[in-house]
Amino acid sequence: MADWMENLKNKIVETQVWKSIFRHGYPDTDTNRALVMFSNVLLHLHPVKVRKSALRIRYTWCLGGLTFFMFILLTITGVFLMFYYVPDTRSAYQNIKDLQYAIYFGNLMRDLHRWGAHAMVFLVWLHMTRVFLTSSYKPPREFNWVVGVLLLVLTLLLSWTGYLLPWDQLALWAVTVGSKMAEASPLIGYSGPFGREMGMRVDNDIRFMLLGGTVVGQSTLLRFYVLHCVGLPLLATVFLAVHFWRIRKDGFSGPL
Amino acid sequence: MSSEDKNKPNKSSEMSRRKFFNLIGWGGLLASVGGSAVGTYKFMFPTVLYEPPTVFKIGKAADFGMGVDERLKKERQIWVVKNDRGLYVLIAICRHLGCTPNWFPDQQRFRCPCHGSIYDIYGNVRGGPAPRTLWRAAVSIDAADNQISVNFLNRQDPDPESTAEGLTVEEPPRETAPYFVKSA
Repeated sequence: MADWMENLKNKIVETQVWKSIFRHGYPDTDTNRALVMFSNVLLHLHPVKVRKSALRIRYTWCLGGLTFFMFILLTITGVFLMFYYVPDTRSAYQNIKDLQYAIYFGNLMRDLHRWGAHAMVFLVWLHMTRVFLTSSYKPPREFNWVVGVLLLVLTLLLSWTGYLLPWDQLALWAVTVGSKMAEASPLIGYSGPFGREMGMRVDNDIRFMLLGGTVVGQSTLLRFYVLHCVGLPLLATVFLAVHFWRIRKDGFSGPL
Repeated sequence: MSSEDKNKPNKSSEMSRRKFFNLIGWGGLLASVGGSAVGTYKFMFPTVLYEPPTVFKIGKAADFGMGVDERLKKERQIWVVKNDRGLYVLIAICRHLGCTPNWFPDQQRFRCPCHGSIYDIYGNVRGGPAPRTLWRAAVSIDAADNQISVNFLNRQDPDPESTAEGLTVEEPPRETAPYFVKSA
């Protein structure tokens, strides 16, 4: 009986299909363990060797990993939401209502997306606090801290662009306020320092570019939708890759 | 030409073939990258806007009574204010963070519900976090039909002075064309 199973297993493992997918043997030797990491796109993000102390949950709390998990969760639930949501000022609010009350599991998807977004912002913040408190931003990891700050900004921008999409009062005024802040930027904003001197008008400054108009309207909704669903996630993915690549090169930090 | 001439190195003032192609190559690359950067930048600024008109007519001066008129606030985001000298138009955008304040006739004050900015009937700041006075929109009287034409994008924004009463701008210099229509 055991022989028969062993034979079958060997037959399967030796087929070309199996070998084309799994390019390593059972990870019970150093070579195979390294190959598991090298040949798997997800595991490849991890360094080949991780110090035991760095895996102590009470040292990192896996906050970066949880943040990445939220990013994946938001990508998946976001795609689900895109099946029903249309970035049109006349229908956006109703689409959200439909998602909440009419579509099977719609409310779950929307809530996962919303709470996931809140959680991601919170986790990024905790992650950075942990990195700061354990001095993990110090050389050779200082470049990764900078990438991390960019990822923080991207996280906040993703949250902000998602804010407008329900097209309710909260969304409208949040974006009014946010874009007003952009308008107060130095040099590139209409009411910011030296903005007027640089030739900024209500209809050509940074706020105008962000809103696609002088007031929060249809073009704003479309712009924020595209930024939220395609532009910023794409940019975040690039920086995430760099972030993980740096971790791979420098190794996880750990207690001395 | 003798063979000696041929083998002579190029004079420093002349450009070698290699240098020339280098220049063309890198120049072309830079030009195309720069060109597409300019193109991308310009792409992000719409040339046609599908939003409410920014220059519009609001009727004749006689249609408005003394004081603040709130009729056009929702549709055009403006208040029309008339005093005994003439008429001006305030833009109903709080200078703090862009929300819409309300007019309280009993207090003679505009108050923003969000963070408590307070303005008087001239648009001067009388309290709250507002960093500037309310904008005034450019107004003019159309000779053809005597209607008042408002330009929502042309905004008067004088530097306010910090006084005991708040951030204020003196009225006489502010009541000038095209931001003010003399009593008509």
